[in-house]
Amino acid sequence: MVKQWLKHWQHWRGQREDKIRPWQENSYLVLDMETTGLDPKQHQVISLGWVLIENGAIQLDTAQHLLLDSAEIDDESVGIHMITDADVLEQGRRHASVLRYLRQIMKDKVLVAHYAPLELGFLKSLWQTQPMPALSLHWLDTMQIEMQRRARAQEVIQEGGYRLGPCRERYGLPEYPGHDALTDAMATAELLLAQMAHYNHHDPSLQALLRTGGGRVRLATHKRITPDIKKPN
Amino acid sequence: MAAIDIPEVLKFIDTTPPFSALTLAQQKQLLTGVELTYARQGEKLDLQGSHATLHLIRRGACEIRSDKGGLVDKLADGDCFGVSSVLAQNPDGLQVVVLEDSLIYRFQKSGFQAVVQESEDFALFFAHTRSSRIRKLSRAHATDLATPALQLSTSISQIMSRELVSAAPNESVQQAAARMTEHRVSSILVVDQQRLVGIVTDRDLRSRVLAVGASSELPLTDIMTANPASIDPRSLVMHAQTLMSERNIHHLPVVDTDQIPVGMVTAADLLRHQELSPLLLINQINRQTSVDSLREVCQQLPTLIVNLILTDMKTTDIGSVIAAISDSLTRRLIELGFEHYGEPPMAFQFIVFGSQARKDQSLGSDQDNGLMLSRTPNAEESQYFAKLGAFVCEGLAECGIRTCPGDIMASNAKWRLTQQGWSEAFAHWIEASSPSSLLNASIFFDIRCVYGDDRAISDLISAMQARVAKSSLFLATLTRTATATKPPLGFFRNFLLESSGEHKHQLDLKHQGLALINDLARIYGLGCKQYRVSTKERLEQAARERLMSADIARNLMDAWDELNELRLQVQRQHWQNTGKPSAYLDPSKLSSLERKHLKSTFAIIADGQTAALQRYARGYA
Repeated sequence: MVKQWLKHWQHWRGQREDKIRPWQENSYLVLDMETTGLDPKQHQVISLGWVLIENGAIQLDTAQHLLLDSAEIDDESVGIHMITDADVLEQGRRHASVLRYLRQIMKDKVLVAHYAPLELGFLKSLWQTQPMPALSLHWLDTMQIEMQRRARAQEVIQEGGYRLGPCRERYGLPEYPGHDALTDAMATAELLLAQMAHYNHHDPSLQALLRTGGGRVRLATHKRITPDIKKPN
Repeated sequence: MAAIDIPEVLKFIDTTPPFSALTLAQQKQLLTGVELTYARQGEKLDLQGSHATLHLIRRGACEIRSDKGGLVDKLADGDCFGVSSVLAQNPDGLQVVVLEDSLIYRFQKSGFQAVVQESEDFALFFAHTRSSRIRKLSRAHATDLATPALQLSTSISQIMSRELVSAAPNESVQQAAARMTEHRVSSILVVDQQRLVGIVTDRDLRSRVLAVGASSELPLTDIMTANPASIDPRSLVMHAQTLMSERNIHHLPVVDTDQIPVGMVTAADLLRHQELSPLLLINQINRQTSVDSLREVCQQLPTLIVNLILTDMKTTDIGSVIAAISDSLTRRLIELGFEHYGEPPMAFQFIVFGSQARKDQSLGSDQDNGLMLSRTPNAEESQYFAKLGAFVCEGLAECGIRTCPGDIMASNAKWRLTQQGWSEAFAHWIEASSPSSLLNASIFFDIRCVYGDDRAISDLISAMQARVAKSSLFLATLTRTATATKPPLGFFRNFLLESSGEHKHQLDLKHQGLALINDLARIYGLGCKQYRVSTKERLEQAARERLMSADIARNLMDAWDELNELRLQVQRQHWQNTGKPSAYLDPSKLSSLERKHLKSTFAIIADGQTAALQRYARGYA
C-alpha cells in the first residue's frame, strides 16, 4: 500500500519536474492529420503526418507519413465496391497496427498540433475504432500559443491570420507549397521552434507553455462501442 | 522514414550546391540524423561538441565574425558554416551570429566526414569556402585597426535629416517661405498625395520670385523645380556626392521606392560628414582656370587616396573614385586646351587605356591615352590636335599623373588616329598575333571614352570584338603571352622573391600578382559577347557567359580584391614613409597566417592560368 503510494508520488513528482525544466528537455510529437471533414463524429482520418522534436531541434529522420486509406466501410459501400469480409478484416488490422504504432510513439511525448482540438477530437474517435490501452498525455496548441502571444502584445491580427501559413509568415518562415499531413506537421514543428525562440526572451518551461496553450488529454476506448460488442437494437 | 523522404527537405537539398551534385545515396548518407533548428536574431551560435559540425541555412541570415569581432562573411539561404569546426577543430576562432531569425539544418559530423571522403568535388567546395573565409578573416583583422576617417560607404539614411518640411503644390510662395523661415531650412519639398513632386530652395525664391518681381501669391507649382533629382535612403554617401556634382545642386530629397519623401540631404550635410572629399576635389578641379591652379588643387590627391585607403572602403570603390577624379581632370584640361588653341576643328574622342579604363588606378598610376578623330585631318588640323594632345598630357603630368614610359599618349602622333586608323591598329594586333607585338599592345584592349561621343568608341569596340571572335589564334597567343609570367610561387609553395637589386627579397604585388589577374580577365573579357572593361566585371561576365566556371571566377575576384587591398596598403605605407608609391612587399613582414593566405591567392592565379591555357591555347602550344 505504502509502496504503491510512494510509486504514485514519485511518478507525480517526476511529471512535475518534467514540467518545470526548460521545454527542450521534453520530447514532442508534432502531428497533423488529413481528414475528410472537420467533425470527428462524421468524418474520417485519411492520413497522419508527424515529426519529433528532441533537445529543441526537429529530428528529421523521425518524420512519418501514414495513409489510413479506409474511409469507414458501411453497408452501402460494401454493396457498390463488393468489399468482402476479408477486406474489412485486413483494413481493420492495418488500422489497428497504425494506431498501436502511433500510441507507442506518443507515449512520454508532448503532443503538438496547430489548432489541437481537431487533432484531439479525431484521436479520441480513432481510439474508439479499436480496442486500445488508454493513454494520457500533455498537448500544446501552436495556434493558441500564437493567439496568447499576440493578445499580450496587443496586436490586432486580421481574420484568418491565425492559420498556419500566416502564423509562419510572421516569423519569416518559408512558404511550403504542399499541404499534406507531413508537410503541415513539419511546418507546425518549425512554427513551435520559432515561437519558443521568441518566448519572452528566455526558454519557457513546459508548465508555462501548457498554461499558455495546452492541456492534458486521456485517450481511452469506450467499452460500449468496441466493435466486437454489438449494441442491442 | 529518412529525412531525405520529406519532400521539402529533398527539394531544398536538390537545388542547393554543393549538395545538389551529390548522388542520392550520398545525399541520404549526409542527411542521416540531420536536425532542423531555429535561431533567433542576435543569438551567437554554439559550435562546440556535437554542434561542431556542418550547418546549412534553410532560411535566414547569419554573419561570421572573427574572435575580435571583425566581419568575415555574411551568409543567407543555402549558405553553409561550421566547416572549419569539423575539418580543423575551429582553429580560426570564428563566431556565427544570427542576423535574421534563421532555420538551420545541422548535419551529423560523421555523415559529413564520410561524404567529404567520398566526393572530391564536395570536399573541394568546402576547402574553397574555407580558404576564402580565411582570406577575409585576415582582412577583418586588418580593418579592426583602421580608423574610419572618411566614410563614403556610409548609407544616406545614416546622415540624412529626417525632419521634413513640406508644402502642397497649390500653397502660395509666401506660405512656403514663412514655413521655411519658421523651420530654419533652406528648401521645402512640394508633396502631392504624399509623393514628392517638386522642390523650392532659397535660391529659387531669390531668382524665380524676387529677382523677376513675381507675386508672392503665386502657387508653388509655378516656381518649383518639378520632378527634382532624388536618392534612395540605402544609397551611399558617394552616390549622393556624384549626383550633386553632376546636377550642380545642393539639396537632395531622399525618397523611398514609392517616391514618398523620407529625408533630406544637403551639400552642407555632406561637408560636415567629411573634410576632404572626392566631390570637393572634383568641384575644385572644375572651377580652376589654369594648369598652375589645377596642379595646386591636385596636390591634395595623394592625401585623399591615402585617406580612402585608410577607411575600410572597398578597393573597387577606391578605383571608381580615383577614376572619377582623373576623368574630371582630363576633361577640365581638354576644356582649358580649347581656351588656349581655340575650338576643335572637328569632333573627336579622348580615350583612355589600361588602369584608367579599368578604373583600378592607385597612387602613382601613369597615363595611357589617345585621340580618335572623326576624319583624316589636314596639316593645320593635325597641328591643332598635336598641340591639344601635348597640352593635356603635360597637364596631367603636372597634376601628378605620370607620363607613360611606353609613350602611349595623346601627345604622340602615333596614337592620334581616325576610327579607321584605330580599327586598322586593332586588326594588326589581332591578326599579326605575334607575342612580341601583343606584349606591349594588350593595354589597348582596355578602352574607355573620357571625352566626346561614346558611340564611336562602342563601334570601335564591337568591330574589335568581332575580329577577335574570328581569330582563335589571337586568343591563344594572348593567353600564352599572358601566362608566360607565373605567380611567384615555387615548387614547394614558397615565395619566389627578387634575388637582387633594390627590391631584393621582396614581392612585386602589382606585376607578379594583380597584373596577372588583369591579363586573365582581359582574355576572357575579349572572349565574351558583352564587352566589359573592369577586371571584376570581366570575370563576372565570363562566368555568366559560361566561359569560366563560377568557382574560378569567384576565387579570382576574391584574389583580386585581396591583392589589390594589400597593394593599396603597401603603397600607402611606402608613400607615407618615403613619398614613393612602391608596390613591393617584404613577405617576412607578414604574419604566418597572412603569408599562408597570400600563397593560396597566388595558387588561385596559377589555377586560373591553367584553366585559361586549357580553354584558349590548347592545340596551339
